[in-house]
Amino acid sequence: MTGHPANGLDDTVHQRVRLGILTIAHEARRVEFSYLRSNLELTAGNLSQHLGVLESAGLITIEKGYAGKRARTWVTLTKAGQAALAEEIIQLKLLISRIDGTGTSGN
Amino acid sequence: MTTETAYPGDDPHRLLSNTRELARRVRKEQRATWFPLLVFAAVTFASIPVRRYSGHHLDCLAVPGGRICRVYSDAEFVYWPIALVLAYVVIAAFYIRRSRARGVGTRVRPYAIAGIIVAVALTGVALWELHNPPVDQNPMGLNGLPDRLASPGAAIGLALLVLAWAERNRALLLLTLAYLAAVLVPITFGLVQHDPPWYSYPVAFQGSVLLLGGIGFALAQRPLRSPAP
Repeated sequence: MTGHPANGLDDTVHQRVRLGILTIAHEARRVEFSYLRSNLELTAGNLSQHLGVLESAGLITIEKGYAGKRARTWVTLTKAGQAALAEEIIQLKLLISRIDGTGTSGN
Repeated sequence: MTTETAYPGDDPHRLLSNTRELARRVRKEQRATWFPLLVFAAVTFASIPVRRYSGHHLDCLAVPGGRICRVYSDAEFVYWPIALVLAYVVIAAFYIRRSRARGVGTRVRPYAIAGIIVAVALTGVALWELHNPPVDQNPMGLNGLPDRLASPGAAIGLALLVLAWAERNRALLLLTLAYLAAVLVPITFGLVQHDPPWYSYPVAFQGSVLLLGGIGFALAQRPLRSPAP
């Protein structure tokens, strides 16, 4: 990769809420909508909007079902989502190194 | 608030620290370390009467300069594989139920699978060793290590290492290493005789390590065990 590390950032992932969703889904393997909503402190509508963006990009899959009589929505990270999250973390670290002036050139 | 808003939190330092904090929070939510420890403490303590009050065999093998004899209980070879497999089924069911209640996935599968494989494999090794005892074996010294490695305690400890890795739990790793030391290092409390009734002392000690560890983790993880609203 060449140029400034900011050029390597994916706009879909490089966003506080969406990065949070991917992080939680990565750690949890499978996470429920209500868990995401409470941990990210979002409204249901706002979370749905972010989930839609991630699903359209193929980074997560959304599965709807029931647990007893309660409707549940489960979110799972795809392989592309795992790769995108890993890449975002690498780029963030490079960017921080650049900002702090202690890192490599980024080339 | 829209999806594309640039938050002050989009600063890379803050994004990375938020990511780490979220990952740490999820891992804490997923942990239920106290449960497997208490289950295995119960299984270990329950093995004492099984060994003590079941029939025993005395097998002797002629070796140059004498004989090597072993005392063993058939019931133990039935009790331990069944108890360990059942314990892993109960633990996996507990984690899955808890995961559904909280809405966050669990990392118990590698632990339960590894635990069952190790339990079955070590039972096979123990049975093989029973019929193929190493010559010049001293159960109290280093030569007794294969016996102790093939013991149920070692099976529990090796699987706990997998749980420590799956939960990324350093405290459990330290406890497991202490437990494995208790299993692999012959602890006799000054008693030379290694067969019943003294058998119960090292096993009771191993069970106590698991019990105390389970109580410690239960206290430490207590605030996180309340059900999600």
